[in-house]
Amino acid sequence: MTITPELRSEIADLANAYALAIDDGELDRWPRFFASDCLYKIIAKENFDSGLPLGLLMCDSQGMLQDRMEAFSKLNVFGPRSWRHMLGAVYTTGSEKEISARTNFVIFETLAGKDTHILCAGEYRDIIIREHGALKFRERLCVYDTTMIPNSIVRPI
Amino acid sequence: MGEAPLSWPDGNDRVPYWIYTDQGNYERELEKIFYGPVWNYVGLECEIPNPGDFKRTQIGDQSIIVVRDAEGGVNALVNRCAHRGVKICEQDKGSFSEIMCPYHQWTYDLKGNLQGVPFHRGVKGNGGMPADFSMADNGLDVLKVHVRNGGIFATMSDKTPPFETYMGNRILGYYDRELDGRSLSLLGHSRQRIGANWKLMLENIKDTHHASLLHVFFVTFGLFRVDNDSRVEMDDTGLHTALSSIRGKQELNDGTAQMRSFDSNLALNDPSLLDVVREFDGDQTVVMQTLWPNVILQQQSNTLATRQIVPKGPNSFELHWTFFGYEDDDEEMTARRLRQANLMGPAGLVSMDDGQILERTQEGILAHPNEQGVVELGGRGTDDADHMVTEVALRAFYKGYRNVMGL
Repeated sequence: MTITPELRSEIADLANAYALAIDDGELDRWPRFFASDCLYKIIAKENFDSGLPLGLLMCDSQGMLQDRMEAFSKLNVFGPRSWRHMLGAVYTTGSEKEISARTNFVIFETLAGKDTHILCAGEYRDIIIREHGALKFRERLCVYDTTMIPNSIVRPI
Repeated sequence: MGEAPLSWPDGNDRVPYWIYTDQGNYERELEKIFYGPVWNYVGLECEIPNPGDFKRTQIGDQSIIVVRDAEGGVNALVNRCAHRGVKICEQDKGSFSEIMCPYHQWTYDLKGNLQGVPFHRGVKGNGGMPADFSMADNGLDVLKVHVRNGGIFATMSDKTPPFETYMGNRILGYYDRELDGRSLSLLGHSRQRIGANWKLMLENIKDTHHASLLHVFFVTFGLFRVDNDSRVEMDDTGLHTALSSIRGKQELNDGTAQMRSFDSNLALNDPSLLDVVREFDGDQTVVMQTLWPNVILQQQSNTLATRQIVPKGPNSFELHWTFFGYEDDDEEMTARRLRQANLMGPAGLVSMDDGQILERTQEGILAHPNEQGVVELGGRGTDDADHMVTEVALRAFYKGYRNVMGL
């Protein structure tokens, strides 16, 4: 039940594929990275460290992920931009049955006609399981250090 | 913008753009507004529940420590050592038993009184402070504080009216509706920086009809829309506003028909987001209060929050959100508040649009200080309205702003 090198590389693929789907703007693929029973939460480090539950964004069902994805894609109003997720190496613990993973991230955001800036920096704290043969996030906490979000976060991170 | 004439056009139905962009005007705002006879919001008591607990915040450009002392009182202290001006406290929040400047270890109690100065009496008969050095005269600058039902306000001026007079009965009624004396429980913070003038944030909340046009999410699900039963109420100065509204249905009527963004077929996959329970007297599902000069106290369905506005020069401000519930909330209610918090904040299903549009407003007006905005919806007067199809709260706001600024 240990985490084999093959599994480790499969986990890294999941992390990379997730980031690329968002950077490529293919948000309709985003909910599919999660298990049927899931929690996705973007949370400020100040809340995380103090045990405060508030998320900047929180979805605790597949339905909520779908609703968010549709809001980002169709309902919210924001200007054109590019995103680049920069991921650190994935650090995994736990067992094959329930994998814990931590990965650092930085997101660069480039708005039309403006300089590239850092949107946020932080780490993913994941619980990953296998569902119908594929690895899925049962829990993905995006704990961000950034004190002031530059304006808004207009996609999932 | 140099020598351009900084004058106000006739009436309150036109707003000149230089008030959002001019550095000199910003500096006068700091003196006349934030450092003047106003009650600045600085936090909630539930952020500093125990003796020694503190949070750092800001009034205008000044860093402020808000701290609970051993007797349970709340103090607001300017975060600047009386000795050489060092910013004493760098942490955003925490707990301390005394306040010590790291540079030369001047030490203050939690009320800001100077308690200790190293080498006060000298060393081996050498040096030390003069015999007439006054500890009492060299404490931290202390602000006057008022706490009402868990909300903490501070003022730098001796001329500030009592809090109740300052807010007026009508606004206090709404204030007490949400902060009703029950102990609050802190759910967390969100913080964002928006590249726009700070007044545009207040305007955004006072401008009732944009929600029906910009915010597709609101529009579609009737959470806040021009065809809702609603009221726009001001205090006598026009500076404080309370907007209240009752949630409408997802139906096509003469209001929704004019909203290009209305989609009667949209449905949530997980409707738990809109599982709203009634928790206050009255039918209002939304009450948005703008309390002059720096806070929005809001109820949207079951999500409760303050938004503190921290100006950062004329072209930028920070928005510090504090989400809360009540200590007597059950688990289900807390879960509901946290779910509905998705509407608000820097990634809010609704408020995300505001951050974006305010920055675009600033970009639009930046090069045009002598042009002016049109504020005529609902007429040119400043009386209360029993509907949302009006910009009356903006006109009343600028009537009050001109008084304060002498414009």
